[in-house]
Order: sequence, then C-alpha cells, then structure tokens
Amino acid sequence: MLSRRIFLRNSSLVMAGMGAFPSWLARAASADGKKRKTLVVIFQRGAADGLNIVAPFAEKRYRELRPTLGIAPPAGPAPTNVNNAINVALNGQAIDLDGKFALNGAMQPLKALWDKQQFAIVEATGSPDSSRSHFDAQDYMESGTSGKTLGDGWLNRALPDPGPDASPLRAVSMGNQVSRTLRGAHEAIALGDSQQFNMGNQDASSILESMYAATPDASLGRTGKDAFEAMKVIQSINRSPYTPQNGAQPQYAQGGELGRNLQQLAKLIKAEAGIQAAFAEIGGWDVHQNETAQMANLLRQFSSAMAAFCTDMGDKMEDIVLVTMSEFGRTAEENGNAGTDHGHGSLMMVLGGPVKGGKVYGQWPGLEKEQLFEGRDLAVTTDFRSVLSELIRGHLGQSDLGPVFPGFKPSDPLGLLRT
Amino acid sequence: MKRLVLTFATTALLLTGAALLGHASGAFDQRLSPDRQIVQTLNRLTFGARPGDVEEVHRVGVAKWIQLQLHPDQIAENPVLDAKLKPLESLRMNLPELVKDYTPQNNVNMMIQQIIQPLNALLSNDDMRKVQIGTAEERTAVLKALDPDKRRQVLATLSPAVLEHTPEFKKEGEEARKVRDEEVQKENRRRNPQLADLLNPDQIAVARSGNREQIEALFAYLDPDKRAQVAGLLPQTALASIPELRRAGQFRRAPRQVASEDLKEAKIFRAVYSNRQLEEVLVDFWYNHFNVDQDKNVAQVQNLVHLLIGSYERDAIRPHVLGKFKDLLLATSRHPAMLYYLDNWESMAPDSFNVGPFAPRRGTVNGVANSLIPAFGLQQARGLNENYGREVMELHTLGVKGGYTQEDVINVARCFTGWTVRDPENPEFVFAPFMHDFGEKTVLGHKIAAGGGEQDGLQVIDILAHHPSTAKFISRELAQRFVADDPPQALVDRMAQTFTKTDGDLRAVLDTLFTSPEFLSEGAWQSKVKSPFEMVVSAVRALGSDASDAYTLVQKVSDLGEPLYNKLEPTGYANTGEGWLSTVGVMGRMNFSAALASGLVPGVKLDPARLAGKDEPSIARDLLGRDPSPQTQAALEAGLGGKDKAPPFIASLVLGSPDFQRR
Repeated sequence: MLSRRIFLRNSSLVMAGMGAFPSWLARAASADGKKRKTLVVIFQRGAADGLNIVAPFAEKRYRELRPTLGIAPPAGPAPTNVNNAINVALNGQAIDLDGKFALNGAMQPLKALWDKQQFAIVEATGSPDSSRSHFDAQDYMESGTSGKTLGDGWLNRALPDPGPDASPLRAVSMGNQVSRTLRGAHEAIALGDSQQFNMGNQDASSILESMYAATPDASLGRTGKDAFEAMKVIQSINRSPYTPQNGAQPQYAQGGELGRNLQQLAKLIKAEAGIQAAFAEIGGWDVHQNETAQMANLLRQFSSAMAAFCTDMGDKMEDIVLVTMSEFGRTAEENGNAGTDHGHGSLMMVLGGPVKGGKVYGQWPGLEKEQLFEGRDLAVTTDFRSVLSELIRGHLGQSDLGPVFPGFKPSDPLGLLRT
Repeated sequence: MKRLVLTFATTALLLTGAALLGHASGAFDQRLSPDRQIVQTLNRLTFGARPGDVEEVHRVGVAKWIQLQLHPDQIAENPVLDAKLKPLESLRMNLPELVKDYTPQNNVNMMIQQIIQPLNALLSNDDMRKVQIGTAEERTAVLKALDPDKRRQVLATLSPAVLEHTPEFKKEGEEARKVRDEEVQKENRRRNPQLADLLNPDQIAVARSGNREQIEALFAYLDPDKRAQVAGLLPQTALASIPELRRAGQFRRAPRQVASEDLKEAKIFRAVYSNRQLEEVLVDFWYNHFNVDQDKNVAQVQNLVHLLIGSYERDAIRPHVLGKFKDLLLATSRHPAMLYYLDNWESMAPDSFNVGPFAPRRGTVNGVANSLIPAFGLQQARGLNENYGREVMELHTLGVKGGYTQEDVINVARCFTGWTVRDPENPEFVFAPFMHDFGEKTVLGHKIAAGGGEQDGLQVIDILAHHPSTAKFISRELAQRFVADDPPQALVDRMAQTFTKTDGDLRAVLDTLFTSPEFLSEGAWQSKVKSPFEMVVSAVRALGSDASDAYTLVQKVSDLGEPLYNKLEPTGYANTGEGWLSTVGVMGRMNFSAALASGLVPGVKLDPARLAGKDEPSIARDLLGRDPSPQTQAALEAGLGGKDKAPPFIASLVLGSPDFQRR
C-alpha cells in the first residue's frame, strides 16, 4: 500500500503541474480525527535577565544589588528615586503576581493570560553547566545534554514516531535556519519567509525537485526534498486568505519579527498542517549597558507576540503549550554601565490551555551573597530539562525520556499541567 | 532509452558515490586530479570562477597563482572595480569627515529649540524652579508677575499636567501652547516641504510610479536643491533602480545609513570584480571573526555604528589580513566600532567618578543641540563591563575551551578599563586614565603590576596573541574556512606551529594551509556549502554578468539569511557550510537563481553571448567549472527533453542545483 506520504508527494507533483492543488490534501497530512498536540519553544538568545523580567521585589537585597536597574515595587507611593521613576516611565508599573514577584510592566500584554491562569513562571531555572559563553550554553540547552556528544536537538528527539501519515510540516523552525533544538533524525524544516516556498515556473520546479531527490549529496538532497514537500503544503495553505482572529492583529504588529513568525505559525496550525513542534527565537537580550530602555522595548515585543498568538489561537490553545528559555541569566548585581554581565540562573515561562497558570513555580534560592552562584549569579534550583521533561511527557505524550535527555533524571514534576 | 541512462547513472553513483562526495569519506590524503586542483583553488581563494579563470590558473600554474594571491600588491587591480566604487564616496572619507558630512542635520527638536526660547533664557533660576517643580501658588505668583508676552512664552513650555494644577492660567496656557505648536508646524513645513509643496500633481504621479526614464527626466528638470528634497520624500522603492537618486534620497532621510549602504554595495562589487580575490575573501572572514553589528545602539545616537563600520573594515581589518595577527587584534581592539560594539568604551574602575574629558557634557547629538554627551541619562553607578573582556578571549583569540576562567574575564576587563572613545562626534580611540583600574591584575597566570595604565591592555593583547590556544584556535578557524567544516587535526597542528614560529604571521599560516596536501585533497573537494553571500556573488561571477548597481544583490543576500554587517551576536555568521543548509534557504537560492538567470535582478545585466547556442552539459560545465553529478545531469536531460531549451532557463537550473551550492 502506498503510504500517505508518498501519495502526497506523487499526486501533488501532478497537481502542481496542473496549477490546482486541493486544500484537502494538506489537511490529509494531519491525522484524521485525532487531536494534534503542539509544543512551541521560544528561545531568548543572548541571556535574558530573569531578575528584571520577573522581579523579586519583596527582597530588600534586590534593590541593593540593582540601585539603577531595579524594578520599582508594583504598589505603593510613586517612586521618589529618579532611576525608579525612569524605570516606571519606560516599562510601566510592574504587575504584582503573588506579593513576592512582579512582572515587568512592559509585559502588560501577558497579564490577561496570567489572570486566566494560562501563564505560569518557573523561577531559578537553568543549566547544570556553568559556562558563561553564549555559544556553549546555547549549545548545551539546545542539544539538551553536555559535551557536544549529540549533534541533534532535544525537541527533535522528543518528537513521537512519525507514522505513515506524518505531515512534512510536523516540526518547523520559524527562521532562516533549523535551530539546533529541532535538528536531528526527524524531518524539520526552516520556514523563514514562507513566500519563498513558491516557484513561479512549474517546469523548473519539477526538474529541480527531481535533481534534489536524486543527488548523491546527502545533506543537500535531504534539505531539498523537505523543501519541496513543505512547499506543496504551504502553497495550498497560502492560497486561502487568513486574518488573525479575536482582534489579535494589532498585538502581532507590536511583536516585531517574533510577532510575524508566530502569526505564520498560527496560520499553519489553524490550517491543520500537522505541526507538533515549533521553534521561534528572539535575540537582543545581551544587555551589558543601558538595560532598562533596551529591555522595555524587547519585552514589549516578546510579550505582545506571545499574547497575540494565544489570542489568535482562541480555543485551539487547549492543544498548545508554549515554553520560553534562555541560555543563562545575568549577574544579580548591575554592572558599571546600567547593564548586567553574564550570569547563571534565569527563568522559564509556560503558556497555554493545558497550563496550571497564575503561579510562580520553583524554589527561590535567594539573593544574599552566600545564596548566589559563585557569589554573583542567581543559583539554579530547577534544571531546565526537568521543566521540559514534564511538558514532553504531559503534553506530547512521550513517556520514554531516556533518549531525549540521556543520562538525566528529572526531579519530581512541578505540576505545571492540568491532568 | 532515457530510463536506461538513468539506471546507468544510478549504478555509477553506487560505485563511485564515496569518491564523488569526498566530504563524506574524509580522504584528506588522496590528491585531486590536476584539473580539479585548479577548480578547488579557485573555489577556495575566490568568490567563484569567472569565465576564463580556469584557463588563467592553468596558464600560470596552481602554486604560482596561489603565491600571487598571497601577495595582492603584486596583482594589478581590475580598472572596472574603481569605476564601480566611485559613486560610493563615503568609502574614501576619513572618520572626522564622515562624521561632519554624514550626520543628520534636519531635526524637529533642533528646530523647536531654535525658534523657542529655552526657559532659562526667560526666567531666573529660582523662578524657573518655582514654575517647574514648585507649588501651584509659587507658580501662579511667578506667572502673574511676568509681562503678557513673556508669560505666553513661559506657558508654552509647561506640560498640560502642570497647567492642570494652575487653574488661573490654564486657559491662557493652552492657547499659548496651541499658538506655539502652530508656529512649529509652520516652520517645520517650511524647512521640510512635502511633495505637494514641491511638485504639481502630474509630477507627483510620475515621481511615484513613473518608469526610470520618466523619473530621470523629471529630476533633470528640477533645480539641484529641489532634487534632493524630492528624492528624500519618495519611498526608496520608487528610486530603487536609479542609484544616484536613491542615494541622494536616503542621504536626506538618514545619512549615516548611506555610509553603511555604500559599504555593503562595495563589498558586493569587490567580491565580484576584484582581481585580489583572496584579500577580499580574507576581509570577509576576518570581519566576521571580529564581528561588529551596524545596529548596535550606542549612547542613544541613532545609527552611529553605521558610520563607523566602513572605517573599521578599511582601517582595522583590511591592512592586516595578511600581516601579523597581533596587529589585527590590536587594531580591532582600539577601533571605536569595536569599543562601542562590545561596550568597552564605558567600562571603568568601580571608583571612577564623573570628571575629566569623559564626564557628560552638553552639545549637539544627532542634530539635537544642548544634548547630554555621552547620554549617561540613566546612569549613576560606574564600574566594570565584562563584555569585551570575555569575547576577546572566547571569540577573538583563545576559543571557548582555550583555558580561561571567570577570574581571567574580570581581570582582562580591568586591564582594558580606560580604553575608550573620545565622544560620538569625535569617534577616536583615547586612553582615559580616570576610568582605569590601576590595581594589580593576574591574567592567564601572568602578573600585571599595579600602576600600569594604557600599557595593561597592550600587555593583554600580547599575552593573548602569543597564547598557544590562540595559535590553535585561529588555525582551526582558517582551516574550517578553506578546507572543510571539520578539518584534519594534523593540518591544524602544522598551521599552529607556523603561527607560533612566525609570531602569528597570517600569510605564513595561509601558506602552510595552501601548500598542504589536505588543501588539494579529495577530502576537501566540494566539502563546503556556500554562504548566501558566496552563493550570490559566485552566481554573478559564473554568469559573467555586469553589475552596475549592487543594491538588489545586497537585499538578496539578506533575504537568504545573511544581512551584511548586521549580525547581532558577536559570534558572527557560521563558519561551517552545514550551518547554512536549510529548507527555506534552498528554496530562496533556487528562486534567486531563476531571477538572476532571467535578467530579473535590477542592476545586473546578463551577457547574452556567454551561453548562447550552448546545450545543457556545456552550460553546466561552464557555470560549475566542472561536470555536474551524473544525477544532476540526468535530471536536466530528463526534464528538458523536448522542452524549451533557452540557455537562461538551463542556467537557472544549474545555479539552483545542489552542485552549485557547494564550493
């Protein structure tokens, strides 16, 4: 029997030649009747300063370590300190989460999700690796293991077996490259600007497709094959008009490049393109100077993009979980230029319908000198892999985590998901 | 019959697959055939062969041709290149000239300051305090005492929130503001006329959507002053195909960005036309190694780094790419572009205070008079910034596993305190003693005595340039660029030995590389996937096309994932070819190939004679410099059988083929 995948390939070739590609074919790519769960990973490249994203405002030590940068407490009298006043002017008033932690005011767009309990925070997460190199630490987090022993990424290994009817779009990286996180044995495509998945000349398209199918060049051959398969689905999806729902458009627009990428992703998920894992990223977090203004801008984009996506997806969020991560945190104490240097512990955010949100999870290690990692950085109390394990198990339904995080034993689940 | 050919080709693949794909088999001791040696040399020392290059290397001989490329001063430069670069005038200006001529002049805030008297010119200090932050009663009293004309001027500067608490003058204040706003608007319109103030409706229609000839005719008719004004008001797309006007328009809107655009277009022209190809390849490599992002935000001076990167490449990188590594490292460390990019300009000893030539002062920034320079608005704390101290070891010299600790990072950063930039209007290196940490430091086991000063940083440069980890790290990076993503360790070791023996002489290190058996081996053959820049330039070169304008090519490189001079992270772009492989990338390359070969890339003209009358095997051989794989050949034959065989169509398929994506 022809597998659905081969059927899809062959028939679409003919159809493409005829200039008519029925949209049902794309839908055929996703499993019939069965609800498809999607895990979306958003990587904050450059080491995001967790302490100014979610501020431990109740700690006196926080303000001592950050006289210039510290986020002003969410309630109380108007700030008298000029730096706090500037901070509030740029970020907006911080949002009290639980009397101990406050969300940076620039993340106002996510407040509604917090209130709806679809947004949780895990404090003091990070890697067991103490590297303060962006590249090394990202490599560790994206591969999910140490020592560069594996060339692939944890999210690729976490994908369930494709089965005969897997979509060519089951794993998508929303950028110009397939991120390390998604690289591996399972097919994953880099979507970039989806307009590129459109070739004007059908003759050229089919000749090039056969070229890449036959080439002895294994890596280019595989990339080309994936590209042509993805093209057929994307072309058919792009043929039907799409407008974001529930008034999400303005928020997407404020989300910068991440907003555009998440909007593309939303469109694909809504078209039932069969997406199980998606990866998107946002850079610029390496704020060694003038942090307040830079972070305000970034956080506004970051939270607008995520909020827009959740709004747009509406009820479909029941099957979607978003998780954010960053390679490490930044120094607890501000540096000499109203910025922060490379640190250790940071935080992760988990959003979505299945999330037990409205709560700050994780064990808070404190900011006193002896509580800080190497006397300078927030300590890590929850391995990032523990958080991910819980999501892979509970949401993607993958019970065997051995191959995903080799040699790692996750700690007890935090209870991030509704069961 | 066709089927038979295909089957035959497939069998041939099974038998020779491993040899065809050297990068998979890793045969670094298997020498390439003489013909392939020529192609390999061209693929690695140039941005791709132009028509006639293979014959040229054959004539000169591989070894001698390489030696020539290692001594670019002995190669006569292509006169065509000079002509291409001529309109890009910012390339030839020194930094002070650039700052003077390429800083925005037109600015609403500056104008407001010019037509409106500042409060301190109207009131005494005490009265000013009362009006701005005093009680409502104090404010009202001061306002009452003023004559009506002066009062209007003072009221116009007050915010509505302040007026809210000054009921007696609320109405008068609102009116004063309104009058002031109207004045500003009128003046603004006078200084910055809109399209409708400059052209009649017919002319506007032509300017917005006319063809090239119509637009040029319109501009020829305008007087020179108006020309620049109109160009500045039209969207860049309307003038995309007219380089002089596009540049003039951009210059009016954002002059600093013209400097970086000049640099990008020059990068394309040089890569396409320069006869000193290896030098251009090395400039690309070393800029990426010592990456600086044009969009680094500095001291709230918009686009400042756009002005600096041309000088950074020209003055800090280019002179040293075949010189001593230490000189290259030192030149990058002291250039304002790097000092800004990795924040060292504001790193200082924790007890530094706010005095000396670097204390904030007042002056014009970005056209705004009386601004704080540098903009330390947010800052009270002063102290160390570890950014450069870390990256100079991790990325520029030792490598991440090069054996440094967090303590070393801090100590290197301490050594470099005081290495700074005079100010954004005078971007030049200067050592500021009052920012320097004069204490004793230990760097990688070396004691650096207290009381050093500027010398401390120089000592660190010396330690890093001569560290064995640096010799290995730099050698490996070069081998990765020129041989294979995972180069043979034996080669890297020999290059590192040369590095150490010659005090980091980069020409000598490259000589060891290029004369090694590994360089001309089966293992290296076709082992590198081209970067987007390499792909775009090699396609233009292979076609022998004439690029009169590089603007669209710059855009294409960016669309393919490599925006030039715009890599945010200090790591730079991937040095490995595999890092550039992606689904959207492959699609984009195929689409670019189709556009280029069909003459649809503005500014690039095809040479119809180049491929006229040729069949697909010879077009493929011409563009690839070698035979395509049997599979690619078979797909071409099968697909084109009996169909349109126009050479441009065949060329678009060859440029989009898997074969063309490697070098």
